[in-house]
Amino acid sequence: MSAFTAQGGIEGAPASALIADDEPLLRQQLRAYLARLWPELEIVAEARNGREAIELFEAFRPSVAFLDVHMPGCNGLDAARAIARRAQIVFVTAHEHYAVQAFEQGAIDYLVKPFDDARLADSVARLQARLAKPEPVAADLDAFLDRLAGKLKMQDAAARPKYLQWIRASVGASVRLIPVDQVAFLRSDEKYTLVAWDGGEALIRKTIRELADELDPEEFAQIHRSVIVNLRLVVQFDRGSNETAEVRLKGRREVLPVSRSFFHVFRQM
Amino acid sequence: MQSVTTTSQPPRAALRAVFDAVNWRRAALAVLLAVVAAAVLNPVFSVPFEVLVGRMVFIAAFLLVAFAVAGAWPPRWVPAWLAQVLAVVVAAPIATLLAYLPSVGGDLTKMLAHEGRLLGFIYITLTVLVIAPLLALGALYRQRDAQARAAQLAFALERSTLEKEALDARLRVLQAQVEPHFLFNTLANVQALVESGSPQAGPVLKSLISYLRAAVPKLHTQASTLAAEVSLARSYLELMQMRMPDRLQFSIEVAAGLDSIEFLPLSILTLVENAVRHGIDPSERGGRIDVSVQRDAGNGAIRVTVTDGGVGMDVSAVFGIGLANLESRLRGFFGSSARLELREVEPHGLSAEIVFEPSESARLASLGATS
Repeated sequence: MSAFTAQGGIEGAPASALIADDEPLLRQQLRAYLARLWPELEIVAEARNGREAIELFEAFRPSVAFLDVHMPGCNGLDAARAIARRAQIVFVTAHEHYAVQAFEQGAIDYLVKPFDDARLADSVARLQARLAKPEPVAADLDAFLDRLAGKLKMQDAAARPKYLQWIRASVGASVRLIPVDQVAFLRSDEKYTLVAWDGGEALIRKTIRELADELDPEEFAQIHRSVIVNLRLVVQFDRGSNETAEVRLKGRREVLPVSRSFFHVFRQM
Repeated sequence: MQSVTTTSQPPRAALRAVFDAVNWRRAALAVLLAVVAAAVLNPVFSVPFEVLVGRMVFIAAFLLVAFAVAGAWPPRWVPAWLAQVLAVVVAAPIATLLAYLPSVGGDLTKMLAHEGRLLGFIYITLTVLVIAPLLALGALYRQRDAQARAAQLAFALERSTLEKEALDARLRVLQAQVEPHFLFNTLANVQALVESGSPQAGPVLKSLISYLRAAVPKLHTQASTLAAEVSLARSYLELMQMRMPDRLQFSIEVAAGLDSIEFLPLSILTLVENAVRHGIDPSERGGRIDVSVQRDAGNGAIRVTVTDGGVGMDVSAVFGIGLANLESRLRGFFGSSARLELREVEPHGLSAEIVFEPSESARLASLGATS
């Protein structure tokens, strides 16, 4: 925990603000509200995304930053991290139940869209008080932003191992995206790999080894030096003589070889 | 005969298989048949009935164990069922011989010399050879029957699970369609328009109303028309364009005469929402979304294409449940020829296409509409 105070602009100078939102009507609306509720506040910049917000903040150094949480590219949380403690931050967000909870635990102000004059007036009063008498706030900004990102499920997705969900394959003149759950098996074919799925077959450039690393091991398993199968579709495992075996897949005619070193895949079945 | 997962079993599992095969029902049947066979053979034998019964029960038990062991460790070169029957056939004379050994004090030559015992041995062996393989086949038949029933049960279970999943998926689609995030952001924009006295407020509100009317869960609606689905997609795109005028442009083009075709509810909207969410929204610059509905001149197949010039697809992107189950919903609605195809667009973006052959009635309806 580290105490921080928002410095916010030069002492004695009128308060200034940055508005960041990817939706122009909402920027205009906030500007209009603020003009009514806080006429002395100068809106020095409007940003359309997080990247612009950071750039404009560095250029103008406003004392207050209104940041929409959801913005293309770099989002409001990223912008807040970059701005850090150099301005009073107010997050603006659409209905996000969990996020609101996180905001209430943190020391950072927030507005839930759509908001009205009265709610914004509260925020303005708080901002004015803090700017007039910067007081230490017991909160760790980065930890709070991390927690918030987690609540907003913006980080979960990044933290989860990213398995291949789509296989890019040239079919005729176009590049098809084949959902992996429709893929029955992949088999190496000289320089290429053959992908067999519900809707046909195609050759791709990725090797079996690359694919074995990129596919979700819960769904796909390598069963041979040159074969990967979709485990969900395996209906039969037949052990032959001489340490060989074969599998059959639901809805497919092919019989695929299993080499001895991959028998363990079927042990628990 | 037996298929489905027969890896070599570890010794303990094989032992358990032996015990499973020697169940009470089989043991009782073996003893009963042994007693019956003893009773039938009794008149020919000079030994007391109890001794004969004892020998027959011993033989029956021996054969049952042979049957079970052959089942647990099947040799590689014959099918398991044949191995089990052969095991019984081979075990029959051995078991009979063993049954006789105590009476001759373990001396085999004594037995061969005694004509009565030799004859008895042959009688019993022949009887056993007739009954035992039949019994073994009967047991195998019952076992296979039980396996078939288990497989059937497993299949029925799987099917009901699938049905439940399909229903769950449908419910999720219906419930999740209007996201609070979308709704409140859109309402915030409408509020901004109203407050600023913009003449745009009226039309936008109209789009929102028609969007909500179609997208709010209607559990009993199974069918819609192409015209209604296109208009829903249009309402959604109009709302998104109001919200991000600098980042989204769109066009909608529908071939004539297709309006009244029955169409899967929310399907075009799913594609358009996906194009916004995964293509346009993450992009600072945005892009175009083009919706087109065409009929193939050749086979009459209908193609609904939603193309966006957004950021394109991340190959590890996990899609929402709406798009994930769209293909199975399409098949359920339009038949097995229906499909959903996704293609990359140059230089960046994604094209999603629904292709299906309309049913006979739909074709007639559309022909009627054009003529």
